[in-house]
Amino acid sequence: MTVFSEIYGTYFRITAKILEKNIINEKEIRDIILENGFRDTILFLEKKLIPQKNGDWGFLKKIGNEKFQRKTKNPPVKILTKLQKSWLKAKLSDPKIRLFLDDETIFRLNDRLADVSPLYSRENFLFTDMYNDGDNFGDEKYRENFRKILSAVKNHEFTDICFVSGKGTKIKNRFLPLKLEYSRKNNKFRVYCYALKNGEISDSGIIGMGKIQTVSNTGIIYDKRIDMKEYFLSRRCREPVTVCVTPQRNGVERFLTEFSSYEKNTAPDPETGGCIVKIYYDRQDENELLVQLLGFGPVIEIVSPPYFRQLAADKVKKQYNMIKDISGV
Amino acid sequence: MAGFSELIKNYEKTRDYIRDFFIFGFKVRNEYDTKSSRTYDDEKRRIESWLGEYMTFERSAKGQHTAITADSGHIAENPLYQAFRSRSFTDNDIKLNFMITDILFGAGELTLRQIVDGINERFNETFEEQTVRNKLKEYVGEGIIIAGKSGKTAYFRLSPDNVGDFLSEYKGLSDTVKFFSENDEFSVIGNSILKSADMKNDIFLMKHYFIVHTLEDILLYDIIRAIKEKRYITLVSFSRKNKNKFFENKLIPMQIFVSVRTGRRYLAGFHTEHKFFTSYRLDLIKNISLCSVCNEYDSIKQTFDRKKKFCYGVSFAHSKEFRENIPMKIVFRIEENEKYVLDRLNREKRCGTVEKCGNNLYSVTFRIFDPNEAMHWLKSFFGHIVSIEGTSDEVKNRFYRDIQDMYALYGGYDDDGIQ
Repeated sequence: MTVFSEIYGTYFRITAKILEKNIINEKEIRDIILENGFRDTILFLEKKLIPQKNGDWGFLKKIGNEKFQRKTKNPPVKILTKLQKSWLKAKLSDPKIRLFLDDETIFRLNDRLADVSPLYSRENFLFTDMYNDGDNFGDEKYRENFRKILSAVKNHEFTDICFVSGKGTKIKNRFLPLKLEYSRKNNKFRVYCYALKNGEISDSGIIGMGKIQTVSNTGIIYDKRIDMKEYFLSRRCREPVTVCVTPQRNGVERFLTEFSSYEKNTAPDPETGGCIVKIYYDRQDENELLVQLLGFGPVIEIVSPPYFRQLAADKVKKQYNMIKDISGV
Repeated sequence: MAGFSELIKNYEKTRDYIRDFFIFGFKVRNEYDTKSSRTYDDEKRRIESWLGEYMTFERSAKGQHTAITADSGHIAENPLYQAFRSRSFTDNDIKLNFMITDILFGAGELTLRQIVDGINERFNETFEEQTVRNKLKEYVGEGIIIAGKSGKTAYFRLSPDNVGDFLSEYKGLSDTVKFFSENDEFSVIGNSILKSADMKNDIFLMKHYFIVHTLEDILLYDIIRAIKEKRYITLVSFSRKNKNKFFENKLIPMQIFVSVRTGRRYLAGFHTEHKFFTSYRLDLIKNISLCSVCNEYDSIKQTFDRKKKFCYGVSFAHSKEFRENIPMKIVFRIEENEKYVLDRLNREKRCGTVEKCGNNLYSVTFRIFDPNEAMHWLKSFFGHIVSIEGTSDEVKNRFYRDIQDMYALYGGYDDDGIQ
């Protein structure tokens, strides 16, 4: 059992899609391959599926001008494999599962998967630096709020949310929840949303799920298309932070791995043998980014924008002054 | 490019290329440790085929830089899963997959002979009994087919667990799979369930998401099996600087250490030759083979569980201060209006103990093997660190030098001159 198996592969999946139709034409076959395949799949798969003099897989027979009928009697079966079941079984012991499934469903699923051994146990992993103030997934009120917001995200439903902001202010407003975000580092969920003012979308926002006190679904559906690119653009920094990363202390690899989750452009820096990285970020995460960059010490230098560099310089200066007497620097 | 295929049999080599294109997007062709430029070209073409929309190519004096760029916080599906969907197969593999399952569909239990004859009649294809038997055995292992016996005759039937029916039978299960298909280890398996059910994750996004981890999940399966079965493993790893230089070590695997901040994952275990606990970066492991059962596993695990409490990160190397039972104590100045800094200390302290030790002064005390590992974290508190005690002069001096270097880097001495 391995997930790197052809039974989960793209070619098998495309073939199954094509065999779902009893009668299919050449264009439909091509479209399915182009839509679901890799860039070059059409070069390899088409001739295996469309009947040839020899070399095709023999799943289709020609019945007319560019029309084909499948030789299989039934649409392909899609069976939950042992590997997939054992993965599901492992997830049943994750505390977050209770956000999605009620106790009765968990019980029934456990019963159904009684003969399946979990793929792994939680004890196989140790998250060395996960923050210890994560959301309380076991809290009944938290779960109720989570499910209401999950439903609102799925239905594009306006929702009245009351929450306490980072500054401690209680805010009550109508929002359109767009997506749910989870951070493993923080072990917290946040809600990406638009805020409403006078019935119109006025601003984008992010609300920590753990800060939410009450949620009321309004039943009012937003029927326009939601463009997440537009949402992210509205929250993006005006200018990326540019950082010079030196090769000292394996800096390039350490930096690029740690910042691999950020949107960024990387170019070689012939002067140092390191690289120059432009990092784009959500404006709300600016302080988090600064703190993370400072952790790299002198291995990196924040070059621009000037105000961001100054934020780093101020912290460094403050630190230098705090410690110069005892360190003898 | 004669004989080029976008499918692969072996995942190891491709894994390295994808990782390098993703992490080091600025490397050029001659910076890759390849045996031939043909290998590089084939791998690049293949990865381009899988991940086309995420590939970028830029030119500089050094040559063309090939990169995979994905803003992992804004994507609904990890594009690197594509590598798992590219396993090569034979014509017989795919023919037998669709033919056997079609013959068994709605037919109840059939014998091997009935299946072979059914394929022959319906598809006009002749297969050896042995070939079909092997495929049936493989699919019994995968859980697609269920085998049974009536007297001496073996029967086969399809598993009744249709993906779509399964997901709709349990309220909330589809959302569960959507969430976990982009979260935690083995998430690619969750994604395979969604693909099978023709579903997509359209709800969840992940912050601090290291999509590159999925490339190492292929190793995890064997590691976890070894842990479960309490086995020794032989581990082949390569050097960070030279990927063609390999090392073989025998290990008793204990646990996977995951840093959710730095994005690194390690296999921690007991080195059988050197007789100490150590850890190996997963992305530097080439392959793993399972060996015999370790009879002393439980007692070694007990020692491991005791010792890992003193790991700040992944290092088990005892510092002099640890041996002499001298804890490391760091004092922070946090003003009244900086409660968020105290909150940070409390949530990020790991095995440390936070105490108030004066007016606006707070200490974090650690008893850890290797204080050096905490320095990266400590620097993220710049502007608040008052003192460090209980660690070697070498660690302290390096920290102070870093402050000095950063002060110079950000023009501190220039300011002094102006003043």
